[in-house]
Amino acid sequence: MDIEEKLKILADSAKYDASCSSSGSSRTNKNGIGNGDVSGICHSWGADGRCISLLKILMSNCCMYDCKYCINRSSNTVKRATFTSREVADLTIGFYKRNYIEGLFLSSAVIKSPDYTMELLYQTISILRNEYHFNGYIHTKTIPGSSPELIDKLGKLVDRMSINIELPSSDSLKLLAPEKSKSDILTPMKYVANSINNSKLLLQESSSKYHLKPKKESFVPAGQTTQLIVGATPETDLKIMKLSENLYNKIKLKRVYYSAYISVNEDKNLPTLKVPPLLRENRLYQADWLLRFYGFKADELLNEKNPNFNTMLDPKCEWALRNIDFFPIEINTAGYYKLLRVPGIGVTSAKRIMTARRESKLNFDNLKKLGVVLKRAQYFITCNGKYFDKICYFNQSFISSNLMYLERQNLPSPDYFQTSLFDDLLPTKGDKIKCLTGNL
Amino acid sequence: MLNWKFIDEIFLYDGTFDGLLTIVFDCYISKRLPQKIVPKDEYVQNILDKTSFIETDFEKSSKVFEGIHKNICNDALYNAYYAFLSANRSGICDNKEIEIVKFLLKGFVVGPKIMTMLSVSYVLNVFKLRKNMLAEAHKLKGLVRLQEIGDNVFYSSIHPENNVIENIGHFFMKRFPMQNLILHDKNRQIAFLYNTKKYEIIDVNDNITPTITKEEKEFQTLWKTFFKTIAIKERTNKRCQMQYMPKKYWQDLVEMK
Repeated sequence: MDIEEKLKILADSAKYDASCSSSGSSRTNKNGIGNGDVSGICHSWGADGRCISLLKILMSNCCMYDCKYCINRSSNTVKRATFTSREVADLTIGFYKRNYIEGLFLSSAVIKSPDYTMELLYQTISILRNEYHFNGYIHTKTIPGSSPELIDKLGKLVDRMSINIELPSSDSLKLLAPEKSKSDILTPMKYVANSINNSKLLLQESSSKYHLKPKKESFVPAGQTTQLIVGATPETDLKIMKLSENLYNKIKLKRVYYSAYISVNEDKNLPTLKVPPLLRENRLYQADWLLRFYGFKADELLNEKNPNFNTMLDPKCEWALRNIDFFPIEINTAGYYKLLRVPGIGVTSAKRIMTARRESKLNFDNLKKLGVVLKRAQYFITCNGKYFDKICYFNQSFISSNLMYLERQNLPSPDYFQTSLFDDLLPTKGDKIKCLTGNL
Repeated sequence: MLNWKFIDEIFLYDGTFDGLLTIVFDCYISKRLPQKIVPKDEYVQNILDKTSFIETDFEKSSKVFEGIHKNICNDALYNAYYAFLSANRSGICDNKEIEIVKFLLKGFVVGPKIMTMLSVSYVLNVFKLRKNMLAEAHKLKGLVRLQEIGDNVFYSSIHPENNVIENIGHFFMKRFPMQNLILHDKNRQIAFLYNTKKYEIIDVNDNITPTITKEEKEFQTLWKTFFKTIAIKERTNKRCQMQYMPKKYWQDLVEMK
């Protein structure tokens, strides 16, 4: 089998991994090739609009497990291939030299045993780092159930490690991935988290003791991530958000990726979906951002009464409408985290407002010039005590109908719509034409 | 607002950053500001305009250079330089040079505080120009495709809107210190050359299309295969792809050609 054929098979199997970020590593070049870029760089965008920044491939797709949702499960008849370590290393260097990629994302199916697979990954990375002196970004998978010694060895060479939780609860895991257990996944994850923490503490200690700059070499400097499948099992959004919150707070993960379930296999335990639940995935990502950068808590966004996100409104708008007493917020005096709670004001806008208002008081015109989008924010803020428009407009039902109208333009048009009380309030394009032609 | 007198005149300069700093010096001394500042080559004759050409004076420009460093801050200098490199295509302001001059003159009055005065229009415009230029530079750091045209010699043609070649040249120099690099800006006909020891930016006058090596061809095929395979068919979204990777860059991309 030639290298192109192998690449085709093993890239095809790797494409369902959502993670592609190349940020967080500031590895410098030491007489070799490549360096890390802290902000990360995207090199291309595929036909699905996802960025390509890493050479994302599997070492092998000859899997010994039989996870129901996975295309490479052992009972499937798909073409199988395995790279050699040298092939992966040469391919990475060849692509990197031509600036096609930012680095390597190496994952693998489980061959023979978890430890055997980890050893294969280690050999490849070792060729890249020690023989070719490659300093670009490397992301590898931690294989569930692998031993701590191997994790240690690999962690010292790579920038990021990830281990996929796959399904949001242990019951679902039992149902769909019977050979993987919760502890197989969580034990290595916690081990990596501990090692990262220890290496950070060690660096801090040595640098404060000797007044030196901390050394660059450390354990998994770009942190740990995970991924879970949404829509294959009946968990609610609340449960998923709670899980993510715990992973961020307790295990200090950098990211949790959500992947809308795409049915590639047929099984009695799997749902049959024609289209992947992309909108739900989008809402989860929006909420994920709220957890990480906006100071929200999962409990605030969802509760037992509303365990799932509204498809008509984004999570922040939904929260704002439920807590309308929190508003309006005065732009010229509110603190940073208070500003962030306004729908339509994000991290960039909030920071810009904080800087600009130091010099002079801001009004709505100033905000527009600063690049703050008022489409949503106008309903929730005051500038120098003034509302954007007449005060009688600022009631819950008016705002919610307007926001839903805005949001609907962004949504892909579905075949049917849930009827809403507010649907008829706003004139449609057809109505406007009728008015103009006098054809009522 | 600045307490300067506006004169009904258009200043021409040679199109270099030193030339612009010379104008800053002259304006500061004479306390007068022109209506517009235009590079000599780009100026279109108009019978109503009163123009005067300002000769570049390196003594004056270096004085302004040091003055910015001492009295304002380094960040302001970067702001001015990056704004100067911006092409101002997306209509941020009428004339980028006059905004930069106003920004620096005001900076000499208020000091480092200038960096927070975002509600003043010319300060904001300078920030926007800088952002516009740096954003394209960042994008091109990913979208440049190096092609091997000889033993360890890598060539890339680019068509950027802004003058980003110096910025991205430095980036690639650090990343591939062992490779000989040629970055060719076809919109401006300039090239960044690097020979593993030092770099140079030169004017290129003829249209070169170098031939690629056999190994290069193989890697291009592999890359195209990877590019096609990695997209998930069920999630096809060409609009999203085009938003991130505008068509103006496609001519230089191996995978989109």
